[in-house]
Amino acid sequence: MTPVLEVEGLKKNYGQLQALKGISFKVDQGEIFGLIGPNGAGKTTTLRIIATLLTPSAGRVTFLGFDLKKNPEKFREKISYLPEEAGAYRNMRGQDYLEFMAKFYASNQEEIKEYVSRGQQISDLGVRLRDKVGTYSKGMTRKLLLGRALMTKPALAILDEPTSGLDVINSLEVRETIKSFVKQGISVLLSSHNMLEVEFLSDRVALIDRGQILDAGTPQELKEKYQAPNLEIVFKSSVRSSL
Amino acid sequence: MKNFGHLLVKEIKELVNKQLIISLAMMILIFSFIGNVTKKEMKKAIAKQKIAVLDLDQSELSRNLIGTLNMANFIIDEQSGEKEQVIKQLQTTELGLLVVIPAGFSREVSNLKPAEVETYSYLRGISLSGTRSSEVVRAVLNTTNDFLSNQYLKKRLPDINPAEIKTPIKNREFILVKDRMAEGSSAAVIGTLYAQSYILPIILMMIIMYSSQMVITAIAMEKQNKTLETLLTVPISRQAIAMAKMLAAGLVGLLSAAIYLYGFQMAFSFPTEELSSATGGGVALILKQLGLTINTQGYILFGLSLFLAILCALSIATILGVLAEDYRTAQSLNIPLVFLILVPYFISLFADINTMSLPAKILVLAIPFSHPFFAMQNMMFGHMNMFWLGLVYNFIFVTVMLIWTARIFATDRVLTMKLKWGKKKVVL
Repeated sequence: MTPVLEVEGLKKNYGQLQALKGISFKVDQGEIFGLIGPNGAGKTTTLRIIATLLTPSAGRVTFLGFDLKKNPEKFREKISYLPEEAGAYRNMRGQDYLEFMAKFYASNQEEIKEYVSRGQQISDLGVRLRDKVGTYSKGMTRKLLLGRALMTKPALAILDEPTSGLDVINSLEVRETIKSFVKQGISVLLSSHNMLEVEFLSDRVALIDRGQILDAGTPQELKEKYQAPNLEIVFKSSVRSSL
Repeated sequence: MKNFGHLLVKEIKELVNKQLIISLAMMILIFSFIGNVTKKEMKKAIAKQKIAVLDLDQSELSRNLIGTLNMANFIIDEQSGEKEQVIKQLQTTELGLLVVIPAGFSREVSNLKPAEVETYSYLRGISLSGTRSSEVVRAVLNTTNDFLSNQYLKKRLPDINPAEIKTPIKNREFILVKDRMAEGSSAAVIGTLYAQSYILPIILMMIIMYSSQMVITAIAMEKQNKTLETLLTVPISRQAIAMAKMLAAGLVGLLSAAIYLYGFQMAFSFPTEELSSATGGGVALILKQLGLTINTQGYILFGLSLFLAILCALSIATILGVLAEDYRTAQSLNIPLVFLILVPYFISLFADINTMSLPAKILVLAIPFSHPFFAMQNMMFGHMNMFWLGLVYNFIFVTVMLIWTARIFATDRVLTMKLKWGKKKVVL
């Protein structure tokens, strides 16, 4: 498999605090790669660096052969980022928001229509797309944002806690949507502290804690290695063995 | 460029929201109401004043005095009867002043003794028309005194014109501006210049204040609504994001200021037709002779000075917006900026920058918004070095600030920069 994303020795310092201590991993084409770990482990910092929001203190990130430091604009053209606590413009109607975002990626009117139509389908908000975003519930906003993130069929979708704020039914739907999109060739890098969700979604996972990757592999490999029934126990065992 | 235009439209739409439109419409209505009331009051003030006169002397001289008052822009409502009764009767009318010419008035004047007239002012409120009563009394007394002194002088010195005795010195007033000189009243020239330019500082203050407030709010709202992170990852340069916000705020600020100004003019502009005096044409000629007029080139230079000052305000406001975490913080961060705008505003209204002490002058001119406030004055009075220095200073200021803004937006400081008030709280 050709990796679309390669992360090597990534470090990030916030003053005295070392948020990332040199992490490395690869994401292959058409793969869902999950970062799992507790709050403050460094998951969001990693995703924000790859999404070009933060600059790394050290290390190298390459995406489709482009270096992050030299070509951040190439990253922005081909990636799509869904932050954990994202919002949409409250005065815009859902439909207008999708169109507004589509225009940044599309090169002609046809493409805009195609992206918006896909966004509508993914968000599954029906007639509520005609209402202003300010009237949406948290779950509806999240679905709209997921539609926005996937509608352009990015080479890499970076999803930070994609089901955050969603109820059980909506969470299941979102997981199914993500799975079906990967089949169309999209790669996904996602993070979650919900290890069962990551286990369900991911082809491979990396266990991250205190700015370091403790272990990586397919969920099955990890479960076998640590002789654990699920990823939560795997994580607990890997933290213990790293101390 | 396509994406920039697309983003600019969104920024303008975000700023021109229902609240802004309603507040501007309300403001126009309020100013229009104030304007109608004020103009009515001013028309009343300018119109001929109606006064009541009770002539208890009934002499030729008292009739002449009433005739003089009539010619001196007063409408006379003659009363008859007992003084006390007339005073009481007038309480129920709208008349504001009663002049009583007592019996024996002409006898006193004939004997060259100080004569008396009595004035009764009816105060019915503290409005503009109410406070005018003292001015009317003064005008009546001046006319009466003038009339009486002329009578005395005519009697004592019948061969001499009383006006020549009362004003023996004739003053020819000249005004000098640099190497130009013109004959005319300096008070009239200053008055005309002030009337022409009093609105300018208000426009400047409003444009700068509105634009800066809008850009701070726009960035703070992106942070508060958690939309900034997504926007920063779309394929458009960070500089374009900052510029779109600044340009949209500048345009909407300009529009809001123009609407406010329109309302302000409706409310407080002088009714020029009524106020036009005989000096109007003369003063215009004097201003031209003294070079105190601005030509097209001058207006272009002034526009450039204003444009640079707006850019200064927008760039400072953009950085302050980055520091803000939400709408409330943005409002607090805007306060120091407003104060910086108010300093040159008040100085341009109440002081002369050229006569200030050097340290005070440096402090005022260090504020980039000061320069357009004094630009017109500098151009008219030939202080072109000051004008050019201001322009260069603002250009350097804007360049530095824009580079700084671009750097902040290009790095993660756009997300991580925060203003720390005091010590950090420790959460356990």
